Amino acid sequence: MKAINKWPYFFALPFVLTYLAFHLYPTMYSLVLSFYEWNGIGDKAFVGLQNYVRLLTDDPLFFKSLYNTFVIMIMSIPATLLLGVTVAYLTFNAAKGRLLLQTVNFLPYITTPVAIGFIFSFMFDWQTGFVNEMFIRLGLLDEGVYWLQEPWSAKAVIALMIMWKHLGYFMIIYLAGMTAISQDIYEAAKIDGAGPLQLFAKITVPLLRNITVFLVVTSIISGLQLFDEPKLLYGGWSGSTQIGGPDNAALTVIWKFVDESFISNSNFGYSAAIAYLLFVIIILFSIVSYRLTAGKEESR
Amino acid sequence: MRRLSYAFLALISVVSLLPFYLMMTMSTYYTEDLFKGLPLWPSDFLRENLATVFRSNFAQVYLNSLTVSVAAVASCLLISAMIGYAIAKFRFRLRSALHFFMMITMMVPTQVGLIGYVIEMKALGMGNTLLPVILIWTAFPFGAFFMTQFIKDTVSQELLESARLDGCSEPGIFFRVVLPLVKPGLSTLAMLVFLWSWNSYLLPLVVINNQKWYTLPLFISNLGIVHRTDYAAMMTALCMAVVPLLVIFILASKTFIKGITAGSVKG
Repeated sequence: MKAINKWPYFFALPFVLTYLAFHLYPTMYSLVLSFYEWNGIGDKAFVGLQNYVRLLTDDPLFFKSLYNTFVIMIMSIPATLLLGVTVAYLTFNAAKGRLLLQTVNFLPYITTPVAIGFIFSFMFDWQTGFVNEMFIRLGLLDEGVYWLQEPWSAKAVIALMIMWKHLGYFMIIYLAGMTAISQDIYEAAKIDGAGPLQLFAKITVPLLRNITVFLVVTSIISGLQLFDEPKLLYGGWSGSTQIGGPDNAALTVIWKFVDESFISNSNFGYSAAIAYLLFVIIILFSIVSYRLTAGKEESR
Repeated sequence: MRRLSYAFLALISVVSLLPFYLMMTMSTYYTEDLFKGLPLWPSDFLRENLATVFRSNFAQVYLNSLTVSVAAVASCLLISAMIGYAIAKFRFRLRSALHFFMMITMMVPTQVGLIGYVIEMKALGMGNTLLPVILIWTAFPFGAFFMTQFIKDTVSQELLESARLDGCSEPGIFFRVVLPLVKPGLSTLAMLVFLWSWNSYLLPLVVINNQKWYTLPLFISNLGIVHRTDYAAMMTALCMAVVPLLVIFILASKTFIKGITAGSVKG
């Protein structure tokens, strides 16, 4: 009976093997490539850290893509959090239709980014777009705005796409958190004379802190990898295959990475370095966020 | 206050639904009529748009997407449940090491290895098949984590012991005792993986070069460039790609929402 049980190893084996083959090996191979210059066909030339040095000192477009990515995150994440917690709170207190509201608002989250890109580029088109048309008809604008051609409004539209997509997800996560808060706390506060706004600000929001941290961390990690939405917003509707939007205002880090390796160029070594630099940034943010959560538990 | 809150919720819901509504009405228009005004009401060109879409290799593309998602779900579920069972229900030497390994893998974004993966797939001669977009789902760290938690919470050790005393083989226990017990977890994970693989855009974009193997997102995003830009037909294709998923989700929304929130609220 005390012989080594082979079964747990047998059950764990498929995961370990496929992870090594299809995730770990490519990841390590990319790391090696990031020290080479290689176009995928000719000979590899070892260049040491030169790819990284060039990225950090001689590629303004990399910094621009990083800047764009952060601007879009700053535009979208706080607003989605605020809106998400508000909608969740109102839904939580709604007498009827909670499941209906959740379902309806969650639909954007499960929709393919291709659809979101096309629909938004139609809605914000200068000439034929729904948004300009509406504003003009309502008398709010005299002539259409070039939403997708101006650097700031282009970023704002992408932020809006992300908000539209994630609001339902944030709302559902917050709702689950609110369900976990004991009703006794609310009753006690009500007896002490707290109004609905006070209940929201003084009880609900502070008790949801853990969930907010979770949402912020995951949004930053996925936000740093933003690609589908900006690419598809400028990808096909107008027939243009322009990279990065107007004056690269919508170029994100992953878009730059994909463009450098598979679309405009095939600089595999250089773009592997981009991916690894982004990875380092993601790790830094994960550590910072981990500290945030851990620090909170100590102070309890 | 109450009325105001309902009005606000209604407004938000309308904003959530408006793009879908526009997508559906636009698919019923003749493209050139789209630009004459707001496509707020359905028109009568749906049949012709459908014909246009099916004149391309849309059926093949749809089949490709279905193949990818079904294969991804099947392999991901089996592999995740297996390692989940091992970590959650066995005491063995490498258990904590494996658990740690699984947690680390969750933190590594797929994009980091993307270049290596594409080159590897070409070297293995799979560049011209659907396999690269399926194999990426075999070892899915989130799935493994999810199943570990689920098996830990739902399968009792006594039940496993009594099955063992009855002389049931280990694979028999896994397939006949464990899997039926964790069905709710499996169905949530299945829905998530189906959804993510169905919507995936970046990996197919860089790994599939042959039009024959296009998946839906890739096909639709290329429609505008290859053919005459028939926007209405594109919208029709989009509807067909999106609506089945929406219907499945609406039918199963209760389980789905429960599954999505399970991991986050605990952690």
